[in-house]
Amino acid sequence: MGKKGLAKYMTTEKQKQFDTDFFKDAETYEVWEEIDFSNLNEIDGQRTFEIKAEDIKFYSEAIMDDNPLMNDEEFANKSPYRGLVPHPIFGTQIIFWCIGEKGRGNWIRTPGARNPGQYLEIYENFRVGEVIHIKMRPYDRYVKRGKYYLRYEIVLYNQDNVKKGKCIGTLILPKTRRDIEKFLEGERGVEI
Amino acid sequence: MNNKRGEGMSKVTFDSVEVGEELAPMSRKVTQEVFWKYAVASLDYNPVHCDPEWVKTARPFGITKTVGHGMMTISFMLTVVSNWAYPSMLKITRIDSKLIWPVISGWTVKCTGVISEKHFISSGKNYVVIDLKAENQYGKLLGVCKTEVVFPD
Repeated sequence: MGKKGLAKYMTTEKQKQFDTDFFKDAETYEVWEEIDFSNLNEIDGQRTFEIKAEDIKFYSEAIMDDNPLMNDEEFANKSPYRGLVPHPIFGTQIIFWCIGEKGRGNWIRTPGARNPGQYLEIYENFRVGEVIHIKMRPYDRYVKRGKYYLRYEIVLYNQDNVKKGKCIGTLILPKTRRDIEKFLEGERGVEI
Repeated sequence: MNNKRGEGMSKVTFDSVEVGEELAPMSRKVTQEVFWKYAVASLDYNPVHCDPEWVKTARPFGITKTVGHGMMTISFMLTVVSNWAYPSMLKITRIDSKLIWPVISGWTVKCTGVISEKHFISSGKNYVVIDLKAENQYGKLLGVCKTEVVFPD
């Protein structure tokens, strides 16, 4: 699975801890037809994310963004921001970390899921030292042009429960459990 | 201008921007190495992006090649805005993106942005809307995005 290609880039503490097996516990993932819309209670993420300078810097490096506010601590500390400023899409890393690998709410890890675009709101920039937790809930489910869409909400809070941002995520999901099985077997699981 | 981007540049103010103004474009050449590095950065290890062998039979997008992460394409588009907004302490508050076509290894992703709306609310709340788009080197549209940027004063 290109593991050698991945391993050489793993430098941060979280990257070294995180399991790269995308199919691990895939049998616990919810497919489109299984999502329970009678229960819209928020679901807590499995982990919290303590923001370190290395997390912010690596994200900007990976997208080849050389903005010194994102990757030069000395420069950023002397700026009016008084610290590193993460890229606006840095929250992606936080969400994948916090969601975890099992159970309800981890729809973005569903084998075969596709990303048709996302809606994000940023209330405050993330800062080094903050500890972020997330809450999720399903939001809408619909069929359009033969594809099965899930819309869900993820809200990100810091350690003081200050709301930092929100994502209304949209995914095209496998409709049935058999669709996931086909994907795991290396067959076409979701029609394009 | 100083060698550190943003230093020595004139500050962008609400009065100084106009509808139709284009932001500085950027482009990124993408390869499998870029997909792997973005997978590590985002912690999204979907084999659609990371496993060139697996996609040969799975063909999740109807092709036998890996594709770039959608959030990578969105990140590229947003760099056009953050390069413009961050040095002037402007706040990126809303991002509404749509991905149209997946990015394939070997392509060059070109991102552009233009100020499409200027909203006069009050000091500290005035904002602009920036329309972004990402295209490959042949002009194929890969994604679009509307972003709101608030001026602090």
